Amino acid sequence: MVQTQTWLDQGIAELILLLREEPATGMESIVCLEMATPCTAAAASTFADPADTAIHHTDSGLELAPIDTVAGDTVNTAGDTILFDHVFTATGTKNVAGIHVCNNDDDVTFIECCFNAVLAVENTDTITIDGQSTIDQA
Amino acid sequence: MPEVNTSGKMRVIATAEHREGVCRECNKTLVKEFYMDGERRRVRMVCPICGEMGRLIAKTFSVQPPDPPQCLSAKCLYRFFIDTLFCALLSNYHRRRVAYAETNRHEDIPDIYRTGEPSPKTIWQAIVASIRLYIRR
Repeated sequence: MVQTQTWLDQGIAELILLLREEPATGMESIVCLEMATPCTAAAASTFADPADTAIHHTDSGLELAPIDTVAGDTVNTAGDTILFDHVFTATGTKNVAGIHVCNNDDDVTFIECCFNAVLAVENTDTITIDGQSTIDQA
Repeated sequence: MPEVNTSGKMRVIATAEHREGVCRECNKTLVKEFYMDGERRRVRMVCPICGEMGRLIAKTFSVQPPDPPQCLSAKCLYRFFIDTLFCALLSNYHRRRVAYAETNRHEDIPDIYRTGEPSPKTIWQAIVASIRLYIRR
């Protein structure tokens, strides 16, 4: 399975709400996905129903948390990129198949990423996420 | 030749670094540190004594799919075919590499399988790297 990552349809819908000045929130939370085998990111996934049979971790330091840093950047045109960093510190033995990058209300996932392979984390292990998304017209 | 217009894109690149959370030298639990990378505020885990990061277990690699062909000429289609083949081989290599590094987290294996660097740059390099990894397993 390749590493797959994509914007989700519900994340795009949240962006449209922001453009329409309707109630919506920005990128603020992140959570690890639990699955014994690698998952495949899909645009149709949602916060409530992640890729394949993956579920959100709910404990062990891998649960939903505010993203450590979120910043803007430029790749092709000014301000076309968002960057995010986060460190998870595991407090138990778990499988991590990927991540969800979510909104402030924790009900919408913007980005889903399924890693190359399942990361088998043990107590005190850390996972540092380095993410970037560019929206351009290239 | 007819031109194919491509629309805008929403690209995502994400990597995950899986590290041990205790410094092997000082036997101290790592602590979260915010630092500046140019103008960007970033985060990492470091040893409070020596400042080293935990031992790397595996780093994932984000392979980006090739851009769609911009024309229907044989040259354009051939280029797209080659790029797609390379993408598939590279993805296969990194999938096996990360799984190998995770399985052998306590073993002494070459750093190339933990970091993924240098990553194969050509089809031939990707094939050779995959065969070498297959032999190791």
